[in-house]
Amino acid sequence: MHSGSESLIREFVAAIGLTGATVELVSRSPEALKHAVRRVLSGGIEVPSESSGSALLAEPDDLPSELWDPLRNLEQVVDNPPDNQLRSARVGITDAFAGVARTGSVCVAVTAKLGGAVSLFPRSHIAVLEARNIVSRPGDVFTAGQLENKGMKRSFVFITGPSVTADMGELVRGVHGPDHLHIIILEE
Amino acid sequence: MARLRTIPTDQIHPRDVADKSVKGSLERAIRMALEVESGAVRRNTQTFNLGRYQATADIADYEELKDRARAIKEAAIESLSELLATLEASVTSRGGHYYLARDAADACYYIKRICLERRARLVVKAKSMTTEEIGLNGVLEQASIEVVETDLAEFILQVSGEQPSHIVAPAIHRSRERISQLFKAAFETDHPLDSGEDLTRFARDQLREKFLTADIGISGANVIAADTGTLVLVESEGNIRMVTQAPPVHIAVAGVEKVVSRREDLAPFIELLGPSGTGQPLTSYTSVITPPLDFPSFSFGGSPARDRQFHLVLIDNGRMTMREDPVLREALYCIRCSACLNVCANFQTVGGHAFGGETYSGGIGGSWEAGTGTLQKARFTELCTGCSRCVPQCPVRIDIPWLNTVLKSRLDRAGGGVSLQKRFFGNFYHFARWGSRVTPFAGSVLRLSPSRWLLEKMAGVDRRPDLPESAVRPLTRQYRQWRKIQAPSVSHAEQETPHRKALLFADVYTNYTLPQRGMATIKVLECLGVQVELSRVMAEGRATLSQGMIVKAGRRAENTAAYLESRIDQGRDIVVVEPSVLALFRHDYRHLLGNPALFEKLKANSYDPIEYLLKIIGEDELELKQIFNVEETAGGRIFFHGHCQQKTIDATAPTVTLLRQLGFEIDTSSAECCGMAGSFGYKREYHELSMSVGEDLFNQVRQTEIPGGDRTILASGISCCEQIRAGISRRVLHPMELLAEVML
Ligand code: SF4
Ligand code: SF4
Repeated sequence: MHSGSESLIREFVAAIGLTGATVELVSRSPEALKHAVRRVLSGGIEVPSESSGSALLAEPDDLPSELWDPLRNLEQVVDNPPDNQLRSARVGITDAFAGVARTGSVCVAVTAKLGGAVSLFPRSHIAVLEARNIVSRPGDVFTAGQLENKGMKRSFVFITGPSVTADMGELVRGVHGPDHLHIIILEE
Repeated sequence: MARLRTIPTDQIHPRDVADKSVKGSLERAIRMALEVESGAVRRNTQTFNLGRYQATADIADYEELKDRARAIKEAAIESLSELLATLEASVTSRGGHYYLARDAADACYYIKRICLERRARLVVKAKSMTTEEIGLNGVLEQASIEVVETDLAEFILQVSGEQPSHIVAPAIHRSRERISQLFKAAFETDHPLDSGEDLTRFARDQLREKFLTADIGISGANVIAADTGTLVLVESEGNIRMVTQAPPVHIAVAGVEKVVSRREDLAPFIELLGPSGTGQPLTSYTSVITPPLDFPSFSFGGSPARDRQFHLVLIDNGRMTMREDPVLREALYCIRCSACLNVCANFQTVGGHAFGGETYSGGIGGSWEAGTGTLQKARFTELCTGCSRCVPQCPVRIDIPWLNTVLKSRLDRAGGGVSLQKRFFGNFYHFARWGSRVTPFAGSVLRLSPSRWLLEKMAGVDRRPDLPESAVRPLTRQYRQWRKIQAPSVSHAEQETPHRKALLFADVYTNYTLPQRGMATIKVLECLGVQVELSRVMAEGRATLSQGMIVKAGRRAENTAAYLESRIDQGRDIVVVEPSVLALFRHDYRHLLGNPALFEKLKANSYDPIEYLLKIIGEDELELKQIFNVEETAGGRIFFHGHCQQKTIDATAPTVTLLRQLGFEIDTSSAECCGMAGSFGYKREYHELSMSVGEDLFNQVRQTEIPGGDRTILASGISCCEQIRAGISRRVLHPMELLAEVML
């Protein structure tokens, strides 16, 4: 099955449902993406009371700037956040260079663009992914020729659902990482 | 951080019984675990166990994936020295530091030096069994460095002062109630500490500040690629991501065995770890990072961002010696997924404080404690009954019970010989034969309390359970008498060359204790036109092997195999009623026979009775209704408990299939093992544990009988049968006995 095919997208969406994350498909255009993010920020994600209202925007590792730039002007969005903002932000927005259909995971680069931190510190994480970068299984990320070999080169993290623990006797979401993950898939 | 108070201790603190080389510690640990920890361990491990079955079933190429993982590990350990050189070059070329520590002291010294050089006051740690192994926390704390465990389970252990009870979920022995009690006693805080949510929020708030102000983060690593210096770190909470990204210095500590050759080799391990461990396709976060990360560290609260420093500290601490040991070398392939803990009935019942040492626990734990510590520390491998349920679960195909058998035999040799108890059980053959000669005399003598008292004192045979009683007439005698009566009618099968010939192996258990199982099998098979010969009775090595008496088991195996081969060469299929003996031929003999081809031959030609029956029915295109009274069987209610080793060699499914085809309404046991496991439950020091393991099975029988009333209880193993009888006082049949009853 080649990456990004209809059936992969369907499998991916179904798997995301099992991880406790949420997902939506939007068409690949600056307006559609901006609209989707705005909608999520203005109520789609519950605001934990102790956090301030800001949403941090990481620089994209892969998404072209024509898609990303409009997000900078959104209300609440803090572009190029100072490190201290990481401590208190409500939402972090990053791109993801791969999605894994079987597991419902997204791969976020851990680079100077700060996707690693922006997807970790805030209480919610929005990951933006291009449909054509959905592969079948985790191992495909390491296959030569897939994803322009990004999975073979960079530091990254497979993110599968929110941060969870069962160590305290029952399953609790949101330990050191976000308690909510929302994935936006951009379809051609 | 909220203030810490000193904590009141339970009667036996797990730490006091962690080192199993101390005499009496294993027995005390079992008692403590059964009293305090069993409930939580059982619930948690059984959840993981079920999760693993589901998650691995979803991987279409699971078996091939395991083969790949195994091959990668074998190749890596084989060329470990070269890989370490490659890895050193990869790490240093990126500006990282590489250090290969000889032993625990060396590793701790190096890490302490870095901390002192950086003037570190606060170190945040992610879960790492390797740093437990080397006792790192104590060393750093002595140097007045604050060490904070950030994995929530490790955080609990830091407060309770306990050692890990599980290699993946180290606080698995604590229920929420006991965590809540612990925290309320330990912390002065207004924060509510009751629900799991409360406790998690509390711990998170405590730890968040620590991440932001820590000078150094210390993590482990699940797998390391030599060619790029890439680490894989698997977790659910996010603390590992914090530890590796937030502080300016990252130290990764790992055993040398974690290194594989190339970055693409990481893939099968990433795909196997989650499913094999907690049963998740992938855990929340799987970091694939090549440190030092190429962006400056963060500046929280005013401290300036700094370039990152990275140290990879690899640890030998006995591993290079394990590599030279043909048996312990296997343990180096272990990826610490915990499948062998979660599937293990004994582990499910007591957890790693009893079935484990100071760091490592479960079936594979003994090899690690022996390899990185001393052989004596592996004494808890006595709790491995050899049930073999872990074997098909291991993603790198380690034969864990075999490793434990070897450890037991080494322990015996080091301890000056095999104990009377082990010789008693290892020589069940002689005991049973003696019993059958003097029956009914032996049976009644053994029921007398003075003899049981003596047996308990001398040989450690618990005086409570009924010992298997010798049958009045062993199978061999019953068979001879039956043949005489049958002779005229069967003769046609012998005159014409019979279509099929089988040898029923008269294993000592069937022969001396429950011969009716053997007779039922013979009758059913003959009825299908199979000409059945009964073997002579011989000790085949199962009992000796389960006591760790390898040399003797080897001799018995060679004898038995030679005899069986002569019969196979005459065109006979080997049918074995007792599953533990069948598993011996199909699995354990690979270790015991000098000739691998002979092993393969035995394996290919030996059958479970029902497996054989299905084969005949299929090949001869027989119809069930011509053989069995299907009107009688339809709707009959059955509870079936497959034998542990029978499940492992895939010989249980045919029973279920056939019974279903006959129209029975059948419920199967999900207990991995009955708890008796051969002779385990008869041993004085393990009898209670064995009955506690059995509770799961007894409860299942009771549960399945709530709607609709009694079921016919079937069990294929003799010890399972004894165990169920002891637990719920019910009649238990071998499936063949039932089939003999419903034959036309
Ligand atoms: S063989 Fe059985 S008892 Fe031994 S470790 Fe494996 S599962 Fe546990
Ligand atoms: S021995 Fe196998 S099953 Fe057990 S922890 Fe290691 S890899 Fe997992």
